[in-house]
Amino acid sequence: MTGPLADVAVAASLILAAWCAILLVLNRAPGRSLWVGIAVTELILAVFVVWGLVELVTRDAEFARLEFALYLAGLVAVLPGAAWWVRAEKSRAAAGVLVVASLVATFMVLRVQQVWAGSGA
Amino acid sequence: MPDAARQLNRGFGRVLVVIYATFALAATARSLVQIVTRFDEAPVAYLLSAGAAVIYVVATIALARGDRTSRRVATVAIVIELAGVLAVGALSLAAPDAFPQASVWSAFGRGYLFLPLVLPIVGLWWLRRTRASQV
Repeated sequence: MTGPLADVAVAASLILAAWCAILLVLNRAPGRSLWVGIAVTELILAVFVVWGLVELVTRDAEFARLEFALYLAGLVAVLPGAAWWVRAEKSRAAAGVLVVASLVATFMVLRVQQVWAGSGA
Repeated sequence: MPDAARQLNRGFGRVLVVIYATFALAATARSLVQIVTRFDEAPVAYLLSAGAAVIYVVATIALARGDRTSRRVATVAIVIELAGVLAVGALSLAAPDAFPQASVWSAFGRGYLFLPLVLPIVGLWWLRRTRASQV
């Protein structure tokens, strides 16, 4: 579960977090370009999650399968959930929500890799 | 018509709900894994985790709904949350043997950047700050 795709997933969600943080500081509500950025990031995360599900089913070795599956389920839902939550919010609070969500997504990609490696507690 | 910035679930309230939702999901998932896979290791700590998860879920929904009844529910849930983190935090330091496995509130939430301690204080502050618009 490590490698370029995982790195791209981490990078994309960190870039999204930084983007939203800038909007937050500039006191701006999300515009069309940010929604496109969220969609692109979600697409990358979805590919990562599908890869994870395939690995989950095909891997023989013993590891924390339940935790792994829960992290994947959460990961694919976090950005759409946050975007839905701020769909009508016309203030910088929307950017604040998305900062939290994209940092959570970043953390979850890292945790998926840790659980895969067997250090998940 | 209340000022949008003063409604419970608008503005900063939206951010607060997302942080609470993150804790609700994380605590629920963690508690599920603990109870399903290794409940006999530390039943007290794991039941506390499950209780914490329920509190976070209730607080999240109440803060998100933001009507008058929800405001009361949120206040009660967050007061319990604050009491829980203070009690479990103090007990886990005073009697570490009773908490062989870390729960979200152990050592005042040190494992989570002390966010479990800060969150209820911020939550109560926000409830108080937005109260004027509801009466």
